[in-house]
Amino acid sequence: MIKELEKLISLHDLDVMISDLANKDISKQEKKLGLSPDSAAERLQKMRSKLALTIDRKYRDLYDQLASHYGNAVVPVVNQLCSGCFTQLPTAFCASPERNDQVETCPSCGRFIYWCN
Amino acid sequence: MERQCLCKWDMSSKDWKSAISELLKEFSFKTTTENLLQTALETRELAEPTVVHEDIAIPHCRSILVDDFMIIIGKSEEGIPWPEEKVTVIILFITPVKPSGPSEHMELIKHIAKTLRSGGADKVLSAVSPSEAASILKFSYEGNPEND
Repeated sequence: MIKELEKLISLHDLDVMISDLANKDISKQEKKLGLSPDSAAERLQKMRSKLALTIDRKYRDLYDQLASHYGNAVVPVVNQLCSGCFTQLPTAFCASPERNDQVETCPSCGRFIYWCN
Repeated sequence: MERQCLCKWDMSSKDWKSAISELLKEFSFKTTTENLLQTALETRELAEPTVVHEDIAIPHCRSILVDDFMIIIGKSEEGIPWPEEKVTVIILFITPVKPSGPSEHMELIKHIAKTLRSGGADKVLSAVSPSEAASILKFSYEGNPEND
Protein backbone atom coordinates (compact mmCIF):
# COMPACT_ATOMS: atom_id res chain seq x y z
CA MET A 1 0.00 0.00 0.00
CA ILE A 2 1.28 3.44 -0.92
CA LYS A 3 2.50 5.45 2.09
CA GLU A 4 0.16 8.38 1.41
CA LEU A 5 -2.88 6.09 1.57
CA GLU A 6 -1.62 4.54 4.82
CA LYS A 7 -1.31 8.05 6.29
CA LEU A 8 -4.86 8.92 5.22
CA ILE A 9 -6.17 5.75 6.90
CA SER A 10 -4.17 6.56 10.05
CA LEU A 11 -5.53 10.11 9.98
CA HIS A 12 -9.06 8.74 9.73
CA ASP A 13 -8.47 6.33 12.64
CA LEU A 14 -7.07 9.22 14.70
CA ASP A 15 -10.12 11.35 13.94
CA VAL A 16 -12.35 8.46 15.04
CA MET A 17 -10.42 8.15 18.32
CA ILE A 18 -10.66 11.89 18.97
CA SER A 19 -14.39 11.98 18.23
CA ASP A 20 -14.96 8.88 20.42
CA LEU A 21 -13.21 10.54 23.35
CA ALA A 22 -15.36 13.63 22.81
CA ASN A 23 -18.49 11.46 22.89
CA LYS A 24 -20.18 12.01 26.26
CA ASP A 25 -21.16 8.37 26.80
CA ILE A 26 -17.79 6.91 25.81
CA SER A 27 -15.97 9.53 27.86
CA LYS A 28 -18.11 8.63 30.88
CA GLN A 29 -17.27 4.92 30.53
CA GLU A 30 -13.55 5.63 30.06
CA LYS A 31 -13.59 7.74 33.23
CA LYS A 32 -15.27 4.86 35.07
CA LEU A 33 -12.31 2.73 34.02
CA GLY A 34 -9.96 5.27 35.58
CA LEU A 35 -8.79 6.77 32.27
CA SER A 36 -8.56 10.48 31.44
CA PRO A 37 -10.29 10.91 28.06
CA ASP A 38 -9.99 14.71 28.01
CA SER A 39 -6.22 14.82 28.30
CA ALA A 40 -5.88 11.82 25.97
CA ALA A 41 -7.96 13.66 23.36
CA GLU A 42 -5.74 16.72 23.65
CA ARG A 43 -2.61 14.64 23.06
CA LEU A 44 -4.24 12.82 20.15
CA GLN A 45 -5.16 16.17 18.61
CA LYS A 46 -1.49 17.19 18.69
CA MET A 47 -0.46 13.88 17.11
CA ARG A 48 -3.14 14.39 14.46
CA SER A 49 -1.78 17.82 13.59
CA LYS A 50 1.73 16.40 13.24
CA LEU A 51 0.55 13.53 11.03
CA ALA A 52 -1.59 15.83 8.86
CA LEU A 53 1.45 17.98 8.10
CA THR A 54 3.24 14.98 6.59
CA ILE A 55 0.42 14.39 4.07
CA ASP A 56 0.52 15.94 0.61
CA ARG A 57 -1.41 19.22 0.78
CA LYS A 58 -3.84 18.29 -2.02
CA TYR A 59 -4.84 15.07 -0.26
CA ARG A 60 -4.98 16.78 3.13
CA ASP A 61 -7.29 19.52 1.86
CA LEU A 62 -9.51 16.99 0.10
CA TYR A 63 -9.58 14.84 3.24
CA ASP A 64 -10.75 17.82 5.32
CA GLN A 65 -13.46 18.70 2.78
CA LEU A 66 -14.71 15.11 2.62
CA ALA A 67 -14.59 14.66 6.40
CA SER A 68 -16.57 17.81 6.97
CA HIS A 69 -19.10 16.89 4.26
CA TYR A 70 -19.59 13.17 4.94
CA GLY A 71 -18.09 12.60 8.38
CA ASN A 72 -15.85 9.89 6.92
CA ALA A 73 -13.29 10.64 4.24
CA VAL A 74 -11.72 7.20 3.79
CA VAL A 75 -13.69 4.02 3.20
CA PRO A 76 -12.92 0.43 2.19
CA VAL A 77 -14.12 -1.16 -1.03
CA VAL A 78 -16.22 -4.20 -0.17
CA ASN A 79 -17.44 -6.53 -2.93
CA GLN A 80 -16.57 -3.88 -5.51
CA LEU A 81 -18.82 -1.37 -3.73
CA CYS A 82 -17.64 1.90 -2.25
CA SER A 83 -18.70 1.43 1.38
CA GLY A 84 -19.32 5.17 1.68
CA CYS A 85 -21.99 5.60 -1.01
CA PHE A 86 -22.53 1.91 -1.95
CA THR A 87 -21.95 2.60 -5.62
CA GLN A 88 -20.65 -0.30 -7.69
CA LEU A 89 -17.16 0.55 -8.88
CA PRO A 90 -16.20 -0.13 -12.52
CA THR A 91 -14.79 -3.62 -13.01
CA ALA A 92 -11.65 -2.33 -14.68
CA PHE A 93 -11.09 -0.07 -11.72
CA CYS A 94 -11.31 -2.95 -9.28
CA ALA A 95 -9.22 -5.29 -11.40
CA SER A 96 -6.34 -2.86 -11.63
CA PRO A 97 -3.09 -4.40 -10.41
CA GLU A 98 -2.25 -1.04 -8.90
CA ARG A 99 -4.99 -1.21 -6.28
CA ASN A 100 -3.73 0.51 -3.11
CA ASP A 101 -0.55 1.50 -4.94
CA GLN A 102 -1.99 4.91 -5.67
CA VAL A 103 -4.43 7.19 -3.91
CA GLU A 104 -7.86 6.58 -5.46
CA THR A 105 -11.21 8.23 -4.88
CA CYS A 106 -14.69 6.87 -5.49
CA PRO A 107 -15.89 8.12 -8.92
CA SER A 108 -19.32 8.70 -7.41
CA CYS A 109 -18.91 10.28 -3.95
CA GLY A 110 -15.25 11.28 -4.12
CA ARG A 111 -14.22 9.61 -0.86
CA PHE A 112 -10.77 8.07 -0.64
CA ILE A 113 -11.07 4.34 -1.16
CA TYR A 114 -8.81 1.39 -0.41
CA TRP A 115 -9.03 -2.34 -0.92
CA CYS A 116 -8.91 -4.55 2.17
CA ASN A 117 -7.35 -7.53 0.44
CA MET B 1 -22.29 -10.01 25.84
CA GLU B 2 -22.07 -12.66 23.11
CA ARG B 3 -18.83 -11.46 21.59
CA GLN B 4 -16.18 -13.98 20.62
CA CYS B 5 -12.61 -13.55 21.76
CA LEU B 6 -9.23 -15.10 21.28
CA CYS B 7 -6.76 -15.68 24.10
CA LYS B 8 -2.98 -15.66 24.18
CA TRP B 9 -1.66 -17.30 27.30
CA ASP B 10 2.02 -17.21 28.35
CA MET B 11 2.88 -14.09 26.39
CA SER B 12 6.61 -13.67 25.78
CA SER B 13 6.72 -9.89 25.12
CA LYS B 14 8.89 -7.75 27.36
CA ASP B 15 7.42 -4.34 26.51
CA TRP B 16 4.00 -2.91 25.66
CA LYS B 17 4.63 -2.34 21.94
CA SER B 18 5.77 -5.93 21.42
CA ALA B 19 2.81 -7.10 23.46
CA ILE B 20 0.37 -5.30 21.15
CA SER B 21 2.18 -6.82 18.18
CA GLU B 22 2.14 -10.31 19.72
CA LEU B 23 -1.60 -10.09 20.28
CA LEU B 24 -2.38 -8.61 16.84
CA LYS B 25 -0.53 -11.50 15.17
CA GLU B 26 -3.12 -13.88 16.61
CA PHE B 27 -5.75 -12.38 14.29
CA SER B 28 -3.73 -13.19 11.15
CA PHE B 29 -4.36 -9.84 9.49
CA LYS B 30 -2.59 -8.94 6.29
CA THR B 31 0.73 -7.21 6.99
CA THR B 32 -0.39 -3.69 6.04
CA THR B 33 -3.57 -3.96 8.11
CA GLU B 34 -1.62 -5.32 11.07
CA ASN B 35 0.92 -2.48 10.83
CA LEU B 36 -1.78 0.19 10.62
CA LEU B 37 -3.67 -1.27 13.58
CA GLN B 38 -0.41 -1.45 15.54
CA THR B 39 0.13 2.25 14.80
CA ALA B 40 -3.43 3.13 15.88
CA LEU B 41 -3.19 1.19 19.14
CA GLU B 42 0.28 2.57 19.91
CA THR B 43 -0.96 6.10 19.25
CA ARG B 44 -3.79 5.61 21.74
CA GLU B 45 -1.34 4.30 24.34
CA LEU B 46 1.04 7.21 23.76
CA ALA B 47 -1.82 9.61 24.41
CA GLU B 48 -2.54 7.81 27.67
CA PRO B 49 -1.55 4.32 28.86
CA THR B 50 -4.73 2.30 29.18
CA VAL B 51 -3.92 0.67 32.50
CA VAL B 52 -7.38 0.45 34.06
CA HIS B 53 -6.79 -1.63 37.12
CA GLU B 54 -3.68 -2.73 38.88
CA ASP B 55 -2.17 -5.31 36.48
CA ILE B 56 -4.70 -4.88 33.61
CA ALA B 57 -4.33 -2.87 30.38
CA ILE B 58 -7.02 -2.41 27.74
CA PRO B 59 -5.42 -1.21 24.47
CA HIS B 60 -8.33 -0.39 22.17
CA CYS B 61 -9.47 1.61 19.18
CA ARG B 62 -12.14 1.81 16.50
CA SER B 63 -10.88 1.35 12.98
CA ILE B 64 -12.07 1.21 9.39
CA LEU B 65 -9.64 -1.66 8.87
CA VAL B 66 -11.84 -4.22 10.62
CA ASP B 67 -15.39 -5.23 9.79
CA ASP B 68 -16.13 -7.10 13.00
CA PHE B 69 -15.22 -6.96 16.68
CA MET B 70 -11.67 -8.15 17.35
CA ILE B 71 -11.12 -9.06 20.99
CA ILE B 72 -8.18 -10.89 22.53
CA ILE B 73 -7.20 -11.52 26.13
CA GLY B 74 -3.47 -11.81 26.77
CA LYS B 75 -1.79 -13.10 29.89
CA SER B 76 1.81 -12.76 30.97
CA GLU B 77 3.07 -14.44 34.12
CA GLU B 78 6.13 -12.18 34.32
CA GLY B 79 4.21 -8.99 33.67
CA ILE B 80 4.78 -6.42 30.92
CA PRO B 81 5.77 -2.79 31.67
CA TRP B 82 2.90 -0.60 30.36
CA PRO B 83 5.12 1.44 30.11
CA GLU B 84 6.03 1.66 33.79
CA GLU B 85 3.46 -0.24 35.78
CA LYS B 86 3.60 -3.94 35.02
CA VAL B 87 0.44 -5.58 33.76
CA THR B 88 -0.24 -9.31 33.63
CA VAL B 89 -3.57 -9.25 31.78
CA ILE B 90 -4.23 -7.38 28.54
CA ILE B 91 -7.68 -7.05 27.03
CA LEU B 92 -7.13 -5.75 23.48
CA PHE B 93 -10.13 -4.85 21.36
CA ILE B 94 -10.71 -3.19 18.01
CA THR B 95 -14.20 -2.33 16.89
CA PRO B 96 -15.38 -1.48 13.39
CA VAL B 97 -16.36 2.00 12.23
CA LYS B 98 -20.01 1.68 11.24
CA PRO B 99 -22.41 4.21 9.71
CA SER B 100 -24.57 3.77 12.83
CA GLY B 101 -21.88 5.42 14.95
CA PRO B 102 -19.90 4.34 18.00
CA SER B 103 -22.77 2.84 20.04
CA GLU B 104 -21.48 -0.75 19.85
CA HIS B 105 -17.97 0.40 20.78
CA MET B 106 -19.44 2.26 23.74
CA GLU B 107 -21.44 -0.80 24.79
CA LEU B 108 -18.28 -2.92 24.78
CA ILE B 109 -16.35 -0.40 26.92
CA LYS B 110 -19.33 -0.17 29.26
CA HIS B 111 -19.49 -3.96 29.51
CA ILE B 112 -15.76 -4.24 30.28
CA ALA B 113 -15.88 -1.39 32.81
CA LYS B 114 -18.88 -2.89 34.58
CA THR B 115 -17.38 -6.39 34.66
CA LEU B 116 -13.99 -5.25 35.96
CA ARG B 117 -15.51 -2.95 38.57
CA SER B 118 -17.83 -5.61 39.91
CA GLY B 119 -15.12 -8.03 40.98
CA GLY B 120 -14.17 -9.28 37.53
CA ALA B 121 -10.73 -7.67 37.64
CA ASP B 122 -9.46 -9.84 40.48
CA LYS B 123 -11.10 -12.91 39.00
CA VAL B 124 -9.58 -12.41 35.54
CA LEU B 125 -6.16 -11.82 37.10
CA SER B 126 -6.36 -15.16 38.87
CA ALA B 127 -7.90 -17.06 35.93
CA VAL B 128 -5.93 -20.21 35.21
CA SER B 129 -7.08 -20.85 31.66
CA PRO B 130 -8.12 -18.93 28.53
CA SER B 131 -11.68 -20.22 28.70
CA GLU B 132 -11.98 -19.15 32.35
CA ALA B 133 -10.73 -15.62 31.56
CA ALA B 134 -13.13 -15.37 28.62
CA SER B 135 -15.99 -16.63 30.72
CA ILE B 136 -15.31 -14.06 33.50
CA LEU B 137 -15.48 -11.30 30.88
CA LYS B 138 -18.59 -12.94 29.41
CA PHE B 139 -17.06 -13.53 25.99
CA SER B 140 -17.20 -16.81 24.14
CA TYR B 141 -13.75 -18.29 23.71
CA GLU B 142 -12.87 -19.13 20.11
CA GLY B 143 -9.76 -21.11 20.91
CA ASN B 144 -8.99 -24.78 21.12
CA PRO B 145 -10.16 -26.24 24.49
CA GLU B 146 -6.99 -28.35 24.48
CA ASN B 147 -5.06 -25.12 25.08
CA ASP B 148 -6.76 -24.79 28.45
